[in-house]
Amino acid sequence: MEYDVVVVGSGPAGSTTARFAAETGAKVLIVERRAEVGVPVLCGEGVSQKIDKWNILEGKRWIANKVDGARIFSPNKTIVKISADMAGNETGYVLYRDIFDQELARSAVKAGAKLMLKTEAIDLLKEKEKIVGVKVKQFDDTFEIKADIIVGADGVESKVGKWAGVNTTLKPYDLESCAQYTLTNIDCNNNYCDFYLGNKIAPGGYVWIFPKSKDEANVGIGVLGSLSEKGMALKLLDKFIANHPELKKGQPVRFIAGAAPVAEPIETVKDNLILVGDAARHVDPITGGGLTTSLEGGKIAGITIGNAVVKQKFDKETLSAYETGWKKAFGKKLHRNYVVKEIMLDFDDKTLNMLADSVKEYNFQEFSTLSLVKALLFKHPTLMKKLVPLIKLV
Amino acid sequence: MEKPKAIVDEIKCLACGGCISICPKDALSMCAGKAYVTSNKCISCAICIKICPIGAIYEEGH
Repeated sequence: MEYDVVVVGSGPAGSTTARFAAETGAKVLIVERRAEVGVPVLCGEGVSQKIDKWNILEGKRWIANKVDGARIFSPNKTIVKISADMAGNETGYVLYRDIFDQELARSAVKAGAKLMLKTEAIDLLKEKEKIVGVKVKQFDDTFEIKADIIVGADGVESKVGKWAGVNTTLKPYDLESCAQYTLTNIDCNNNYCDFYLGNKIAPGGYVWIFPKSKDEANVGIGVLGSLSEKGMALKLLDKFIANHPELKKGQPVRFIAGAAPVAEPIETVKDNLILVGDAARHVDPITGGGLTTSLEGGKIAGITIGNAVVKQKFDKETLSAYETGWKKAFGKKLHRNYVVKEIMLDFDDKTLNMLADSVKEYNFQEFSTLSLVKALLFKHPTLMKKLVPLIKLV
Repeated sequence: MEKPKAIVDEIKCLACGGCISICPKDALSMCAGKAYVTSNKCISCAICIKICPIGAIYEEGH
């Protein structure tokens, strides 16, 4: 069995890479360990509306709800409201992630990619140290698939990178340990994506409520790995729901555990092997959201791979166009937000409350750093010292 | 006495992959849809036990 490209994993990054590579004529195979693309859903299902501009997804079936904006709740419940225009970069749509993933896979297949389910990559195929394909297991059969280029789109737990010698191991402070219920029979008429901060609520993370419809929402939590104890995410989530007047009326129709990398991106091109999506740590370190970067990065990877196949050049130099491309597209943002994440980890609840109090009446439709700083200084001058490192980043 | 190694409760495990991503010795992998500890690679650091969001990993003998 021989292909130009084998993509390991049919998540958003894998399918998008496969699609754009196939569109240039490359012979592409996606191997997926699970029995159904997109299932089980492992996601909070919130995504920016900016994906509309990219024309990657057709139709609307993958959209569960379009929200009016975001609200951030400080530990003492001071609300900072952000309009859809401003918040649109991070929130906007609440998805049906299973349909979303299947739609992306469908586009890849439409472009000519082949897709194999229940097919797990178990190792790289090497000849004299050179990567020449992958070894896979499909039900009781183990077989080899040869390919000029291998794409690791195998998520947070990526093994493909490790097999190629890339250090993909995350430090506990670079991982959010997550749990989420989809609660039904609750009132979600306040159509906002809500974020709750606080060191007692979610150490090094936050609780989110993303409404999927008028009476259903994803209610989840992320706790920073370095601050977590056994089972902490679930315990704190249960506590949050039990203390919430509306949420405690609900019943769960789905429960998931999750893990989101909140790290700096890693080496994404190793000889003829490429890492995309969560496997490349292409996730916003502040929000833990990785869908937009997976699509954007996947497209760049797919086009780079397509060009390499046309030229029949599979060396690191040719494929480095991918790394240059994603760094240009969102590398700076990911780095900046990683630094912000580190600064915010030092904020105690009092600081978070002061921050929220400073900006609560701020009109986030006219966002400018200068006026934000003025608002902060006016209300709580003592905050300034803590914010100096942040301001340097702007 | 040797420190206890990590074991996954495969009935509890929801296969999120978090433990696999942080294991410093690559002792964890997904096996038949559940996380699995390769015991002779485990160095008993307990990082996976702490970060499991639902408490599905425990120390051997507990």
